[in-house]
Amino acid sequence: MAEINVMETIPEKMIIPLKQHNGDICEPLVSKGEVVKVGQKIGECPSDKCAAIHSSVCGEVVSVEESSHPSGNRINSVVIQPIEETECEDFTPFKDSGKEQLISAIKEAGIVENYGNPTHLVLNPPDCDIDTVLINATASEWVGHNYETPLEYASQMLDSLRLLMKAAGASRGVIVLRNDDKDSIDAFDGLDYEGKTIMVAPLLGKRRVDYYFNDQNTDIIVVSQDKIYGKNIFEYFTYNVTGRKVSFRCTPASAGVAICGVKSAKAIHDLVNTGMPYIETVVTVSGQVNNPQHLLVKIGTTFRDVIEACGGYSGEPAKLISNGVITGVAQYEEEVPVTKMTTSIIVQGKDEVRKDISKECIHCARCVDVCPVDLIPNRIAALANQGRFDECKQMHVENCIECGRCSSVCPSKIHIMQLLQYSEEAIAKAYEDLSEKESSNLKLGCACGSE
Amino acid sequence: MTLTISAPPHIKQDTTFRKITWIKYLALLPVSLVSVYFFGLHALALILAGIGMAVVTEVVIQKAFKKEVTVTNGHAPLIGLMVALLVPGEAPLWIPIVGAFFAVAIGKHAFGGIGSYIFNPVLVAWVFLQLAYWSAMHPASFPELGGISDLFLENGAGMLVGVSPIALVGGLYLILKRYVEWKVPLFYALTTLVLALLIGDKIGHVVTGAFIFGVLFLATDSPSSPVTKNGRIIYGILCGLLTVIYGHFANYVFAVFYGIFLANCVAAFIDNNTLPRSFGEESLLQRKYRRLVNKIPLEKLGVKIDD
Repeated sequence: MAEINVMETIPEKMIIPLKQHNGDICEPLVSKGEVVKVGQKIGECPSDKCAAIHSSVCGEVVSVEESSHPSGNRINSVVIQPIEETECEDFTPFKDSGKEQLISAIKEAGIVENYGNPTHLVLNPPDCDIDTVLINATASEWVGHNYETPLEYASQMLDSLRLLMKAAGASRGVIVLRNDDKDSIDAFDGLDYEGKTIMVAPLLGKRRVDYYFNDQNTDIIVVSQDKIYGKNIFEYFTYNVTGRKVSFRCTPASAGVAICGVKSAKAIHDLVNTGMPYIETVVTVSGQVNNPQHLLVKIGTTFRDVIEACGGYSGEPAKLISNGVITGVAQYEEEVPVTKMTTSIIVQGKDEVRKDISKECIHCARCVDVCPVDLIPNRIAALANQGRFDECKQMHVENCIECGRCSSVCPSKIHIMQLLQYSEEAIAKAYEDLSEKESSNLKLGCACGSE
Repeated sequence: MTLTISAPPHIKQDTTFRKITWIKYLALLPVSLVSVYFFGLHALALILAGIGMAVVTEVVIQKAFKKEVTVTNGHAPLIGLMVALLVPGEAPLWIPIVGAFFAVAIGKHAFGGIGSYIFNPVLVAWVFLQLAYWSAMHPASFPELGGISDLFLENGAGMLVGVSPIALVGGLYLILKRYVEWKVPLFYALTTLVLALLIGDKIGHVVTGAFIFGVLFLATDSPSSPVTKNGRIIYGILCGLLTVIYGHFANYVFAVFYGIFLANCVAAFIDNNTLPRSFGEESLLQRKYRRLVNKIPLEKLGVKIDD
């Protein structure tokens, strides 16, 4: 179980972006010169597609201005100068509340999945009913989120799953672990929960969760599978775990599935038991820093302060990456804040930064061999490059989980992942532009409950 | 402090096309040395003539068409070397020169350069030379594996490549290091050996330097072989099948080259017919079966299928 350190130092400046999710930007509730408390709401949702923003520190608002964001854009942000005292808002636990209260509490607490969707929309999508809640615990950096012991992790995670199921009104819940993550599997295996013994079941071949639900005759199961990573894994993840297919450009909600991360599950557990909103998160700092570690930081801390808390750079840094070395975003500057979507910070030295020029594809089939969803990346990339998007669609480009392995192994250094994303976007645009009448014979829209 | 901005992924394997080609030279170095030892300095002249002409041809073509000159990636000289290895030891010097020119100019550049050619340029040149200059290209003898010593030094070798089968195992290193993929060579070798045993051909005739060279270096040439997982298996089996058909009625040395050359013709066809389904759901056999079943007009025959 990975050790989590808590960042104790109080930084000089906190930048809290008013958009830390996919959806609409929040409206600021504070203005320059005001004093804010820990947990005070500083960003109000203008619509439902949004999650509220809270201050993570006590201090004075220096300004409300456009500031850099880890996504690479500039976003309206609240800049706070923290003070030593910590004065908290009064948090009230939400024991014994119903579905509606839970959903609105989740929205008010600003809980966001690590992939950016506000959790209340994931659990309670408009016009859709959720029957299965999945907790994706396959990515190691989120496992062990500030828990004392593995046992505590496992039991809290099961409690959280119960809460998520209640909030979503779902009848079944699944925790998905990683095959090679022995710590977590040991923590769950043999655990007694609500009078039943939990058994970690591997997902093999066509044996998916439906089989285990029947086999174990329970409504909560724990399964394990290979690690899946990528920016766009939900369709594949849903298919792999439940066997349900998600239509093109639809969310898993259309198949009745809600996917949550360990981080948001933990945040909901905290919310219900202490009433604390989502103001701190664990980031993994690695690469060219003196003291790589997992660090619990307050949202809004700049990358510079996080790296200083990890002992500073261990050499001349050449690249600063947020959210993973394969799919992450390279940062323009150090003065970017940790947001709810930040999972890791990686520093690369000069000799690690590669400068390559794309050459012709030599059909070496390395990308075909590494692709986890059985695409032919080199051919789709060539078709996308020529603008033949309909043929890309025939080759199931929508299944791409954007894991970037194809670009990583390519000996010709072709930007395969970007070409695949490009064709996917183009296809989605073409679908949006179709008028109702023309599209009548096409399967459009994400009807709920469809298989 | 300056930070670099680039699109993900931020780590990439350091395998490049250039590296793959230059490693192949290392793998071919032992057999070249043994052939020089066996055939004398004339073999060295043949090899140098092949490499030199390939380089000259590539430079002239790329200059003439105002393209970036890519000789340094090693692909053209590699073609020249391979063409030279496929000529008989006592061939005149102009044979590898004509061969290397034909391979690079027609086999490679006429089809669009690296990654675009449909036939392996080395085999294009070999087939051309074989048909045009039969008398100069016909080796004095065909090797037969008699004992262990023949694996190291084959006295019956006709071509440069046939002198020492064991010197070609550098190709296995390429596979171990994943510079070339393993499905084609494995299924090619297996199919050939099994079929040859079944129809009763002498294994000593099959396992020659030419065969090992074909399996490890010619069949694995990536642009002229399929990319799909199932496609590569089918391609390997097809290479083996064609090799045994030709070899059973003529000889297994030529069979290797003609077999791979003919299999090149259908590589794209194999690719197009083995594209995986969404999430790789069905296997190829399942799909073929389904396609076959779908063609049967069951409804017209009055058969009802219950779901």
